[in-house]
Amino acid sequence: MAEAILVPQVGQDLTEAKVVELHVKLGDQVKKGDLVAVVESEKASFEVEAFCEGTVISLPWQVGDTATVLEPLMHVGAPGETVAEAARSAAAEPAVVPAVAPAAQPEAAQVAQAEPLVAKVATGVVNAALRASPIARRVAAGQGLDLARIAGSGPKGAVVLKDVAALAVGGAPTTGGGALELRTLQAGQGTPVVFIHGFGADLSSWRPLVARIGLGSPMMALDLPGHGGSRGHGAADFAGLVGAVGQTLRGLQGSVHLVGHSLGAAVAVALTQRGDLDVRSLTLIAPAGLGASVDGAFVEGFLGAKSEAALAAWMRRLVSDPATLAPVLVRATLAAREDADLVPAQSRVARGVFEGSTQLFSAAAALRSYQGPCTVIAGRDDAIVPLREIEAALPGHVALHRLDRVGHLPQVEAADLVQTLIARTVRSAG
Amino acid sequence: MAERELMYREALREAIDEEMGLNPSVFIIGEGIAERGGSYKVTEGLLAKYGPKRVRDTPIAEAGMIGVGVGAAIAGARPIVEILYVDFAMLGMDMIVNQAAKFRLMTGGDGRVPFIMRTQGGTGGGVAAQHSQSLEALFYHIPGLRVVMPSTPADAKGLLKYALRQDDPVMFLEHKHLYMTKGMVPDGEHIVEFGKGDIKRVGTDVTVIAWSNMIPRTLEAAEELARQGISVEVIDPRTLVPLDREMIVNSVLKTRRCVIVQEANRRGGVASDIASIVQEECFYEMDAPVEIVAGMDIPVPFNLTLEKASVPQKDDVVAAVRRSLHLDPFAEAAE
Repeated sequence: MAEAILVPQVGQDLTEAKVVELHVKLGDQVKKGDLVAVVESEKASFEVEAFCEGTVISLPWQVGDTATVLEPLMHVGAPGETVAEAARSAAAEPAVVPAVAPAAQPEAAQVAQAEPLVAKVATGVVNAALRASPIARRVAAGQGLDLARIAGSGPKGAVVLKDVAALAVGGAPTTGGGALELRTLQAGQGTPVVFIHGFGADLSSWRPLVARIGLGSPMMALDLPGHGGSRGHGAADFAGLVGAVGQTLRGLQGSVHLVGHSLGAAVAVALTQRGDLDVRSLTLIAPAGLGASVDGAFVEGFLGAKSEAALAAWMRRLVSDPATLAPVLVRATLAAREDADLVPAQSRVARGVFEGSTQLFSAAAALRSYQGPCTVIAGRDDAIVPLREIEAALPGHVALHRLDRVGHLPQVEAADLVQTLIARTVRSAG
Repeated sequence: MAERELMYREALREAIDEEMGLNPSVFIIGEGIAERGGSYKVTEGLLAKYGPKRVRDTPIAEAGMIGVGVGAAIAGARPIVEILYVDFAMLGMDMIVNQAAKFRLMTGGDGRVPFIMRTQGGTGGGVAAQHSQSLEALFYHIPGLRVVMPSTPADAKGLLKYALRQDDPVMFLEHKHLYMTKGMVPDGEHIVEFGKGDIKRVGTDVTVIAWSNMIPRTLEAAEELARQGISVEVIDPRTLVPLDREMIVNSVLKTRRCVIVQEANRRGGVASDIASIVQEECFYEMDAPVEIVAGMDIPVPFNLTLEKASVPQKDDVVAAVRRSLHLDPFAEAAE
């Protein structure tokens, strides 16, 4: 079905805009985000991007023309399709259209059909006056949902979070129902110890360490959004991660000890600020979220690596002595990527929390106000999150253990010491 | 830790008493505060304990009192100047705004002004337009001043003790309706640092930010909303300057909805400024516009019915919370 790309409203009360550049001609292929034209008013010029993919099938205006705003600037459809056909097919389109992408899970599809999905704009044209809350827009974009096709329950028909959440695949990010994968690695008595992995890992990475810890407490671990069994969870920025983990841990109904590695350590610290979770102690291993830097090349290289050799080359950066990096760890990471959704999901998280070599989040203030027992363990040779930045950000009441000849994976490189320190921290909280 | 139930005014008295006992440079002046023990009985008994040099009645001359306080603070003392109504502090605005607030910066940090102005504001019982104002926004606007607005006896005590140990001018704004309210206060040294908000009620659906007498009112609204199945988180910043932005932002990121309640009239108020912070930090996470519940932009009427109508009441808070959840604001009330 053809879609119209409209002449944008380039200023308040303006009815016309001049077409100053056209970057496409009839028959060109465009994809979402392509710059297709520039229009201007007396005061400003405006770049027009394609919001859908297809072939340009009509182009009513030429460069230099004065076009009417909110009229089609071009139509994009299937090759050979004409605008008249597009209009007819739009008219024939049923009033209720599925808003969920074909990949939707069965339950989601049922939900979609049960919802009053009135197609307000039958041609799928972007409605300039479309009302939606910012979070509803973000969730819809992340889920590939077209807001124009969702019946809004907010004021004056605005689409709000609950309208989108009802349609979102795998639950809306960071809102109710989006529980993360949480597993008990070892049963026990008392306050559970919950392990939160770092970027690119998953809960199974804790198994070797947990097996060594001689505590009687239940040992649990979870998969962060975009990782492991939570890869379908759409949360893709730091607040979203913290919200999703908080939501999940709330189900434990009480106190927890938290052990976090890298990004997971920053999440653990931020969780102490939620009023609804009693964090009894914190053990932070090579914590992110204290300084500003992260090895951006590593993040990019790690995500982009497709062969075992390439992945091993990047993962060696994680450790001080390459010999401590077991080939099985590299192979397990590679094997997990056989699920084609995993790397895109992790990339989405990476874009949300890192920008190049910068961490876009901070847990430093939260750590300063946390009063429970807290132990920080970091390697002097950490190439991913620099030790000096961790040192600089630590408040005086937090103990720091700096390990010689250890990199970003103290739990692998110095597993005995790390398990001792975790046990000591948990016990000190009583 | 053990704790006792105290009235707000008793908690304030304990703070002054304890700090006067610890630090001989603390003194207090004001209208009727010595012989009479103060119009709100905050300073009762202090004259007998500390004598007329440290607990001193003044003539009805606010400009002079504030000038004495600011000057004494610059000279190294720790004065508390009690102003009967915040409305009357307007007489001392030059000393507060042009002297006390600027001195530290203009002396390159050499000079400090640990001047505490204790006063009270807000509506309560038909005392008319010149005795009912909530003027925190005037002080909030001036860089260099600390603005403190305790809502509970424990906060009143802890914040006043902290005020008497730090070195900047403090506008300590009490509320005439709160003096007789009771609450638990921890035994022993109880200090509340500036810039640390307090979550007065934990909730998940909507964040409501309020201070001073709007806290008890908001907590009542939260109770009613809980009966409707709506979970409200009530945040009390306790000090407006410095403001605990982090607590506010974290809460709104959690609930995605924000209501701000202030007794002061709306135009140019602190609520508007907090709303701007919330939208700047949380816009893309929010599911509804920030709601502000504030007083009307009019002088507070003398007539009690009109006075009540001019400032936020419990039902106004309930309606705003429901609007932020895209619910009919009055549906439940009608049932």
